[in-house]
Amino acid sequence: MTLTEHAKRNRAHWTELAPSYAMASGWAREPNWGCWGIPDSDLHLLDDVSGKDVLELGCGTAYVSSWLARRGARVVALDVTPAQLETARRKQAEFGIEFELVEASAESIPSRDESFDLVVSEFGASIWCDPYLWVPEAARVLRPGGRLVFLVNGAISMLCYPDEPGPAGTELLRPYFGMHRVEWSFEDSVEFHLPHGDWIRLLRSNGLDVLDLVELRAPDGAPDPTFDYATTEWARKWPAEEIWVARKRS
Amino acid sequence: MSSPEPDKNVEAWTATNAAYTDRAAPSAWAQDEITWGVFGIPERNVGVLPDVDGLDVVELGCGTAYFSAWLARRGARVVGVDPTPAQLETARRMQKQFGLEFPLVQARGEDVPLPDGSFDLALSEYGASIWADPERWIPEAARLLRPGGLLVFFRGSTLAMLCSPVDDEEAPIEQQLHRPLFGMNRFEWSDGSIEFHLPHGELIRLLRRSGFDIEDLIELQAPEDAERHPEYDHVPPEWARKWPAEEIWRARKL
Repeated sequence: MTLTEHAKRNRAHWTELAPSYAMASGWAREPNWGCWGIPDSDLHLLDDVSGKDVLELGCGTAYVSSWLARRGARVVALDVTPAQLETARRKQAEFGIEFELVEASAESIPSRDESFDLVVSEFGASIWCDPYLWVPEAARVLRPGGRLVFLVNGAISMLCYPDEPGPAGTELLRPYFGMHRVEWSFEDSVEFHLPHGDWIRLLRSNGLDVLDLVELRAPDGAPDPTFDYATTEWARKWPAEEIWVARKRS
Repeated sequence: MSSPEPDKNVEAWTATNAAYTDRAAPSAWAQDEITWGVFGIPERNVGVLPDVDGLDVVELGCGTAYFSAWLARRGARVVGVDPTPAQLETARRMQKQFGLEFPLVQARGEDVPLPDGSFDLALSEYGASIWADPERWIPEAARLLRPGGLLVFFRGSTLAMLCSPVDDEEAPIEQQLHRPLFGMNRFEWSDGSIEFHLPHGELIRLLRRSGFDIEDLIELQAPEDAERHPEYDHVPPEWARKWPAEEIWRARKL
């Protein structure tokens, strides 16, 4: 497995973080989106997966895959970090839910062309891999008519993070034009975030039609999330998280 | 006209035409090049429009119809639509002055008295794209277009709307989020005008619901040598070098 330099760094980063994600509490939850846990029963992005071939890119501890497997999907979950896949395997045994776990980067997916009906990434490859590498791979492995659903940080929120741990403010701290590779001074990892126009062009140029952009709003009265990237007050006004939905052209 | 909104916008645009757009019309009409927005970015650098030669084009909210004139000069069969009589009067005077005639129709973008499936391109440049209710003008544009026809519309960016100060609407946009994105759509300004602006996600859903495939969103960056627009000066060029102040959407009728 040949990894890009940023994939190696992100694998090291996630190897370090893995013990604090070992609880993998997502396995016991209903399908939901983002750090405010917006129920999928409100968004309907993971409906009708029964009998479908589904691939999760950057599954981590594979709780999203577990929801899809429980709904009757044939799931393959891929992640580049062995320590995270180890947790996923332990949870599979604990919950009695089995599906294929693959150690690989979404920038080079070891699957045949046109072998999946749904590709999903929830803060996985969607922010930890280079979109100019992983989106073409996702498009390749999707069947015509298949869907790509992925969750990322809100493009506007990315402009508002100070380069220190802590939530987004209201000042625009970095430019939007040219946004792509993002590195923080306090963390040895590499994130990827694109402006909306760049996402649309990248998806289209890979034969994916843009069906939706769901800008997630924090529920009224919700407590501030465990992840400290935005307060509930901020995320009541602006999207801290957003979901793109695209479909491979037939 | 049943709805009060367009009347307010007609009033506001009658005043703006007397104050600015009437006297700005001759130079806009005389311009050879198609340009976009307050920094005059040339279409040859953007490439969002098709070759319009021989196409049936409707401009929704044409104002003094300079954009229609640019397209007519390139061989398009253009119809300019606008609800403000004073602006259409200026457009007619320009047509005579420049010897370039095309139909002008007095109507709102929400309700255009032209037949279904009669255009290859529907265009709006700071027209219906911001002054008409998107829930009504976008389906109307879909109705007017032939299958495979293009909708191209230009507006201020969502981010610029968010960064527009709340207490002083004349003040330049700032490097600060001042207004919430969630729930944004309708802005009532002190001159009585009503502007509409849906955020990207809402707009994508509305376009899809109306039968469009989303082809592009071009977030415009001001050029290095950009200068402040003499009239529309709410966007500092240095702001628009870093963040998009204006955006162009292109969608194709399925």
